[in-house]
Amino acid sequence: MKKYGLTFFTLAILLMVSGALALNFGPAQISMAEITHCIMGDCATPIHEMIIWEVRIPRILVGIVAGMGLAIAGAILQNTTRNPLADPYIFGIVSGAALGATIATITLSNELTIALPLAAFIGALFSVLIVVSISTALKNHEQLLLTGVAVSFMLTAISQFLLYLGEPFATNRVLFWLMGSLARVEMNNFYIIGSILLISFLVIVAYHRHIDALLLGDESAKSLGVNVNKLRLLMLALCAAITATVVAYCGGIGFVGLMIPHIVRQFIGVTTLPLIIGSALVGGSFLVWVDVGARSALESAELPLGIITSAIGSIFFIAIMLKSKAK
Amino acid sequence: MSSSIAQQPLIKVVNLSWQVKGKVILQQLSFSLNKRQILGVIGPNGAGKTSLLRCLLNQQNDFSGDVYFKNKKLCHYSAKQVAKSFAVVTQKATPIFALSVFDVVRMGLLPHKGLFSLDNDYDRHQIELALDKVGLMPSIYSPYHVLSGGEQQRVLIARALVQKAEILILDEPTNHLDVYYQHQILQLVNSLGITVIMTVHDLNLAAQYCDRLLLLNHGKLISNDVPKNVLTSQALTDVFGLFCHQDTDPITQTPRVSFYLKKPQATAENMSMVK
Repeated sequence: MKKYGLTFFTLAILLMVSGALALNFGPAQISMAEITHCIMGDCATPIHEMIIWEVRIPRILVGIVAGMGLAIAGAILQNTTRNPLADPYIFGIVSGAALGATIATITLSNELTIALPLAAFIGALFSVLIVVSISTALKNHEQLLLTGVAVSFMLTAISQFLLYLGEPFATNRVLFWLMGSLARVEMNNFYIIGSILLISFLVIVAYHRHIDALLLGDESAKSLGVNVNKLRLLMLALCAAITATVVAYCGGIGFVGLMIPHIVRQFIGVTTLPLIIGSALVGGSFLVWVDVGARSALESAELPLGIITSAIGSIFFIAIMLKSKAK
Repeated sequence: MSSSIAQQPLIKVVNLSWQVKGKVILQQLSFSLNKRQILGVIGPNGAGKTSLLRCLLNQQNDFSGDVYFKNKKLCHYSAKQVAKSFAVVTQKATPIFALSVFDVVRMGLLPHKGLFSLDNDYDRHQIELALDKVGLMPSIYSPYHVLSGGEQQRVLIARALVQKAEILILDEPTNHLDVYYQHQILQLVNSLGITVIMTVHDLNLAAQYCDRLLLLNHGKLISNDVPKNVLTSQALTDVFGLFCHQDTDPITQTPRVSFYLKKPQATAENMSMVK
């Protein structure tokens, strides 16, 4: 771990600088000096105080933990399934969340601030439950990914059917939510995502050697005393919890979990501990800057976050395939 | 190599049978193995060689009969305890991600480490020592997947050394290797001074490097003895369905076997050999 010290230190500084710089972006023009004063507890106007403390800081903090969470979930899924294209979104977690959100939006007309994230969370866990029970029935956890893809399509079909029948207003709401945004986040979202992240991180640190052992194949891991199926289920459950919480508050933000671990592998390494620490730091910075882009790209309105990450991610996806073909 | 007569066997297999969906894979196998012996498992494809290794690794629990390790049933050991004693070297492992040689050897620490534990300087030292022993220290940071088959197996042997295993299990270690690497890998295995169980296809290599041989056919134990007594013309002719001739290698003084599709014709030169 020692040899990664400098890299992690640099990435951590980068993350903090990203967060600090991102404070400057937003529709309200607040000078750098004013922001510094506000942070110190000496705001010029109550409006500025509100903008800094209740809008920008929560948004940046949630952006950081959401980016970290998605990147860690991707890294863990990729290492445990030994598939570089694994991503929490391919596992049907988001389509489950979307189904939950759809049902909540259609059945409840108000009270949605709490009900929508909750329904999304339940939906996400529901989809993972289906994926896991199918692959358990198959007795083959190597087909986890394919099962995820199939379940994803199934749940999407149900959501779309409900939306098709539903009233246009509800449909719009769900569609916008699915595109992903940090516009509605609050400070307590940060605490919730942050605690799930912390717990997951501790579990991953506890089992990092076991996950590493999987990298050379299931047989090899078994010969080192690893209970492969149990480990894979535990890690899938963690990824589901992280992703479901992020999706519940921030909507669909795709491809972060696919992209970030891939980049980190190139310059840090493939073993679990350095990979997840690196992915967390890079993922956090990445989402902060994507959100700055989302706030600044259009003159009058915000661009949904998921549109940007999906655009970057899909190009990245194709680049990976072209590169691996060139090998 | 087995010196003391009153030695307790390290591994004892009693009436091991294994059926999968009514098909007999292994039938009533009994044998034992002493410490530091090298056991070669030989026999035609489908004889049950690899299946036997799986049972010895505790990776199957649906067999009947008992496997004892140090006088205690293997199934009474936890997976972690088994991993501390048995190390496996196969050629099947192909990583998707660019694992380095260091990363692979480091896996051997797993059975000896608790949750949350990080690597320390001593661990690193052990890894370097093991790589030095298999002659791959210069490749410590090379990607594992670019190494040749023989080198990959040496990396796995280094992992076994870090694992501090008492028994090394190798599944066809000489497959896909050229003659030089076949001898290099078996020489290395021989030099470690630990108990080894391996499946081998090349009978002459088995004769040269193994202390004892198990000859299997259709899941049954045909013979279990020193190479000279197992590799008899008659037994090999029966098992492999080819005409076999055995003599002694003039240099190594180990048994040497040759196979012929048809019964060799006696000529003036080979008259004395072919009976």
